[in-house]
Amino acid sequence: MSKTEYVSPEGLRLDGRRPMEMRQLRAEIGTVAKANGSAVFEMGNTKVIAAVYGPREVQNRSQLINDHALVRCEYSMANFSTGDRMRKPKGDRRSTEISLVIRQTMEACILTHLMPRSQIDIFVQVLQADGGTRSACINAATLALADAGIPMRDIVTSCSAGYLNSTPLLDLNYIEDSAGGPDVTVGILPKLDKVTLLQMDAKLPVDIFENVMGLAIEGCKAVANYIREVLLENTKQLEFRRGL
Amino acid sequence: MGLPNASGDLSTEVEVDAFRRLFPLRFFEKHLLESIRPDARPLGRARDTTIALGAVASANGSALAKIGSTTMLAAIKMEVMAPSIETPDEGCIAIDFHMPPICSPIVRPGRPAEAAPVVAKQLSDTILSSGMINLKELSLVSGKAAWMAYLDIYCLDADGALFDAALLAAVAAFSHLEIPVVSLNDDGKIVLSEEQGLSDREPVNKEKRKVNLGSIPFSLTCILHKNYILADPTAEEESIMETSVTVVLDSSSQLLSLYKPGGAVLAYTSAIQDCIALTRQRVKELQKILEEAISGMEVD
Repeated sequence: MSKTEYVSPEGLRLDGRRPMEMRQLRAEIGTVAKANGSAVFEMGNTKVIAAVYGPREVQNRSQLINDHALVRCEYSMANFSTGDRMRKPKGDRRSTEISLVIRQTMEACILTHLMPRSQIDIFVQVLQADGGTRSACINAATLALADAGIPMRDIVTSCSAGYLNSTPLLDLNYIEDSAGGPDVTVGILPKLDKVTLLQMDAKLPVDIFENVMGLAIEGCKAVANYIREVLLENTKQLEFRRGL
Repeated sequence: MGLPNASGDLSTEVEVDAFRRLFPLRFFEKHLLESIRPDARPLGRARDTTIALGAVASANGSALAKIGSTTMLAAIKMEVMAPSIETPDEGCIAIDFHMPPICSPIVRPGRPAEAAPVVAKQLSDTILSSGMINLKELSLVSGKAAWMAYLDIYCLDADGALFDAALLAAVAAFSHLEIPVVSLNDDGKIVLSEEQGLSDREPVNKEKRKVNLGSIPFSLTCILHKNYILADPTAEEESIMETSVTVVLDSSSQLLSLYKPGGAVLAYTSAIQDCIALTRQRVKELQKILEEAISGMEVD
């Protein structure tokens, strides 16, 4: 029984990256004209588009909350996003779980008490899935919320890490993710240095887990730097267009 | 009650944005009198259109089409299936149109947009009846295996003229489609050939090939209001003036489809003929844009 080598003896992964190397990040703000805020976020081949509508009037009166805003989130994957065509892109258990996870993660950082009796909708659509869709969605949602001008405590960034062939690996792609090894997804508030999301599956000894989680947090901080650059560039463009 | 006068007086006091929201019809009519629209387009001109092929790397064929702000992403995935008994040497195309909640503030999760199934049906009818794809080309082994092409179109931004953008994206995706190489394995099942090296099995089709497209359909939606004809409406225009006419012509200017789903304005034949003339012009523009996109991709 041959074991697939996820990390070659020279220290290269299947796609030529080093174990501590992230995939290439690319982000763009303001892609959906009709939305209050929107963003496209790419991590390697994983491509995700997020749109934020809000704060707006609550559509379901029975869910109205008097002292803070209601945050809703929907995650769906396009039929063509994965290798085989998906039959049920939303409403299945995985999508419902990820919608809940993203909602709770973003709710933690939005200053909801500033917008009582209103609703903020975050919609995330996966266009291409190659591992790390959860993280890409959270990063895209952060950018979209910033584009919509919704007040937040801090940006939320997320990254995943794993452990294969006795090496901690940063930012797993689909092949590495389905290898059966552990997959740790972390979401942090970088300036406040607090963890809001932590998910792991498969088995891992506790001391190795600390290494892997530390690696994921480093990845989150790198994403945070990139996101800040993108937001700064966007603000400069706006300044320029307004002639300031 | 003197309401027209009231709005007339208000129009001098109220800001342009407020007037646009409070009295949308009067706002547009003031523009139409000068033969122009709020985004400075003349009545017969469509918005800037762009096509990008190969937007989705994991699909067999894909395209992103933008008409103004309206954005459509189309992708085709091919699967092998057994053909039906009545048509043993024909493949099949399944067309699906989705409007996810990101595209528009009026689409809610759990409550799909009204326009989505309408556009899906229109697209399906137009593409299948246009003869653009010869289903016999999608056959692999007569009676045993044929290709099923799943075309999924996602609206990423809904700003009017949804059918036009969706049809353009679908046509562009088909022009980018490459049929993968498959071979017959020992159980008689069709299997994707991953590399050239696995040549102990006879490949059924020798190499990745493009689909031969017959006449390509292009469309233009126009809005009728009193005696004005506005080409390529935005979502705002569509919501105020509801009578629309969609004309689909193929590349040889033959009429493929005409769609006027009711509406307050009753059109004389002359109005319909004007719409067809506008569509004819638009078809030439769209053909040029599609050819540029295709030749751009072929510079390999």
